[in-house]
Amino acid sequence: MICEHCKQRHANVTVTQVQNGQQIERHYCDVCAAQFHPFQFEMKEEPASLQQLMTNWFNFVPIIKKENVAGSTAKTKACPTCGTTYRQFLKQGKFGCGDCYRTFSEQLPQLLEKIQAGTKHVGYVEETHSKEKINQQISELRLLQQQAITEERFEDAAKFRDDIRALESKVGQGEERA
Amino acid sequence: MNIEHFLTNANPSWMQYESDSDIVISTRIRLARNIANVRFPISFTEQDAEQIEHQLMTALLAIDRENPYHFSYFKVKDMPQLQRQILVEKHLISPNLARRQKIGSFFLTEDESISILVNEEDHIRIQSLAQGMNLQQAYEEARKVDRYLSKSIAYAYEDRYGYLTSCPTNVGTGLRASVMLHLPALTMTKQMNALIQMMTRLGMVVRGIYGEGSDNLGNVYQISNQITLGKSETVILQELEKVVEQIIQKEQVARKNLLLRAPTILEDRLSRSLGTLKYAKILTSEEAASCLSNVRLGVSLGLLEPISQRKLNECMLIMQPGIIQQYAGATLQATERDMYRAKLLQEKLNEQASNDGEKGEDSYDV
Ligand SMILES: [Zn+2]
Ligand SMILES: [Zn+2]
Repeated sequence: MICEHCKQRHANVTVTQVQNGQQIERHYCDVCAAQFHPFQFEMKEEPASLQQLMTNWFNFVPIIKKENVAGSTAKTKACPTCGTTYRQFLKQGKFGCGDCYRTFSEQLPQLLEKIQAGTKHVGYVEETHSKEKINQQISELRLLQQQAITEERFEDAAKFRDDIRALESKVGQGEERA
Repeated sequence: MNIEHFLTNANPSWMQYESDSDIVISTRIRLARNIANVRFPISFTEQDAEQIEHQLMTALLAIDRENPYHFSYFKVKDMPQLQRQILVEKHLISPNLARRQKIGSFFLTEDESISILVNEEDHIRIQSLAQGMNLQQAYEEARKVDRYLSKSIAYAYEDRYGYLTSCPTNVGTGLRASVMLHLPALTMTKQMNALIQMMTRLGMVVRGIYGEGSDNLGNVYQISNQITLGKSETVILQELEKVVEQIIQKEQVARKNLLLRAPTILEDRLSRSLGTLKYAKILTSEEAASCLSNVRLGVSLGLLEPISQRKLNECMLIMQPGIIQQYAGATLQATERDMYRAKLLQEKLNEQASNDGEKGEDSYDV
């Protein structure tokens, strides 16, 4: 038998797993078994994937089907920043960037209602980045940049310079808006 | 700090206190954060990834003068497989991060209680570990680091949705709080399934600590909040605490019932487990986990000789395949590991008998 994981070496380790009350036998080679010991095997950081959540908990019919029928513009809309479409999101369960939350603002509430306790954040309020904060940060970076130059770490110094520029442009934007 | 420090230390200082309950093992808090205007790891470029690592480095450097932490920094790609595995077994990094080929790095404090995972599913995941039931304290620790970072990093945050995360299951507070519980009596009396269903309805998630494929290995379960949006951090922590308190009570009742109904059978079963741990020559991780669980229960019920929880926690940690090999100083085949595991656990348990008088028990006379 060939190892189920690497599909190269001979499988000489059998791992029995219990999934949904059913025993499943898996066969691995020594090398893969050492990496995917039952202890670690399929250990997921997240309690459940979004899809699992939707199907297991809420018998949720993916929105995508309804959209296909309706043929709404939402079907083809892609996030201008990262290019993720809602269909892609449903497939991978993850957004590509923060702007996706704005892009899919039409579909998001009905999704969040299923998986969350509401559609509005009521927790800790992150302070917005005040100009003061950013200026302080810039001066800290300037110190680091100076230090890097003195120590002839020019690549680091260049990185600090870029960071400083990025922050300076942010302060500029803030002024325009205000 | 050298990586060896984290690999060989089976008894980090955050684990060294005896908790007041022998049912709760530890608490973990995780805060998911992302940097504003940078794509999430699922769609970012390697350059983005580097830039993020660099930004975190700068942030931690910038606060170094005022902060009490001394973080060590490691890149995942530089680490051999075994080292990654050990860090996962110690809950210092996530399996997701450990699997990364190119990107991904992490910061660790010397006592291992705080880690910052960089470019995992989100740009930043701050994790804080604490012994026993310490949700509030662990949360405060994570928040401290969060506040430090937010001084120089602009988070992806919106008033409406709170902290924006890759997955909408984390959006809002970005907070995942977990408590690790040892529930042998509820498992033996087959009450866990019903309990898990009840907890699911309350918006809690229950898993085995070692992952899905090994549900109740060692009868240790991890209970976490599922909801991150629409509830405040305080409410999330309070609700989890309430649920955990109820489970503890149920476990205590189940233990009493076991003792009442089948004292001899129970004592026999638990004593046999201690015997196995003391005299077996080959121990699979499954058998070791189940024996350690029984011994933990036996000690707590006063049916077995006293062994400190600290020692039992350490045994639960070091019996895992990666750490076993670290102890052995060599890569071992499965059977060799089982032999070495038996040897190592015997040493640990014997060391207990001779050490207890002088050290480790002082926390009992409170
Ligand atoms: Zn293989
Ligand atoms: Zn996007």
